[in-house]
Amino acid sequence: MNKGEREALAGLLPFEAEPHLPNDRRRLLKEFVMSEIRTSAGRPRRRPLRRPLRPALLASALALGVAAAVGVPAFLSGGTPAYAVSRNADGTLTITIDQAKDPKPLEATLRGMGVNAVVDYIPMGKRCSPQPRSTSFLSRQEAQHPADGRPFLIWPSDEPGFRIDPAAVKPGQTAVLEFNVSADETIAAIWANISRGPVAPCTLVDSDEAPLGPPSGWDD
Amino acid sequence: MSLRARIRDGDAEAFEALFEEMERPVFSHAFRLTGDWSAAEDVLSLTFLEAWRLRYRIDADGGSLRPWVLGIATNVARNLRRAARRYDDALARMPRGHPVPDFSDEIVGRIDAAEQLAAIRQAFGSLRRQEQEVFALCVWSGLDHAEAAQALGVAVGTVRSRLSRARKKLEKLAAERQRDSGWRQVKGDHDSVVRSVGEESR
Repeated sequence: MNKGEREALAGLLPFEAEPHLPNDRRRLLKEFVMSEIRTSAGRPRRRPLRRPLRPALLASALALGVAAAVGVPAFLSGGTPAYAVSRNADGTLTITIDQAKDPKPLEATLRGMGVNAVVDYIPMGKRCSPQPRSTSFLSRQEAQHPADGRPFLIWPSDEPGFRIDPAAVKPGQTAVLEFNVSADETIAAIWANISRGPVAPCTLVDSDEAPLGPPSGWDD
Repeated sequence: MSLRARIRDGDAEAFEALFEEMERPVFSHAFRLTGDWSAAEDVLSLTFLEAWRLRYRIDADGGSLRPWVLGIATNVARNLRRAARRYDDALARMPRGHPVPDFSDEIVGRIDAAEQLAAIRQAFGSLRRQEQEVFALCVWSGLDHAEAAQALGVAVGTVRSRLSRARKKLEKLAAERQRDSGWRQVKGDHDSVVRSVGEESR
């Protein structure tokens, strides 16, 4: 469509003023949207979370050469795995969490797989204190894979759980994984980053802010 | 890595940049489609929640994400109730504003008269929904035919034919307005874009 044609059509309905939000309202709605996507990871909250792969399915995946599962699931008293970590063919790890009760076994599993990680489960209505928990978090560019730009935390579109790239965590660095936990002990969201230096332990405090990670604008 | 690839990979910072770039076009588009300030705010928020949910569909290569985002906004505006149901929990947390003062300050104060806006709404409302969407995307939001086709998920020829039908209808209304112009000049202060058949026969 050329300019003249567009102008002719616009002249038929001369909506001359461009409606726009006042700045404070725009800012408020942006904060709302960003808070929602950070806390819900974009999942509609009513959609049931998919279950992690069962050992039988993992065996099938192995047979197909899709993934090599080397995670050591921590079993709940009833024999159901609380979580699983599988190593994918491309070296990334997929973490699935069925019941988020105690983060320490998952943390130990990740360390056993070579990822120096700190894992915390954060219930709704809480957040970690202090935030940020490190003064030396890597920027997004620093954390991404130098060859293909892959980020540390990779959102898979067609598989349950969360995928991380362990190669992004260099010697001496610590991966920080914060999981937001719903009332039914399923995971609602994840926040992840890599710290060069020490990471403060997470003390849960009451909060009506976004539950994960530092407040927005902390690294401005 | 491109903004497209970063958003597809779930990079919230890149998505925030997309919000900054597209907030104003999306709100304008939503307001023009719905004619309702509060609904346009809902469409704005839901469009970006939907864009985040559907980010896996983004191709890493390609130009501006503008057609894609405006396409989502069009779908949300068309199915606002359905979109609101999907995100009802989120909408319960959405900060509520004061639509009436905003409307008065930001829109009515900047055009000749509220009457003109009402007349535009009336003329726009005479188009079929599909014609409205194509008109809003191509004329008011500045997409070309191919971009509008991409936004709506239809063929380019369909965009052209809908736009052509819209043009014919609006030209007919404009001709009626011209016939009424003598009446309006005598009558008073405010110009209007079109008038109803009922007014014409008085």
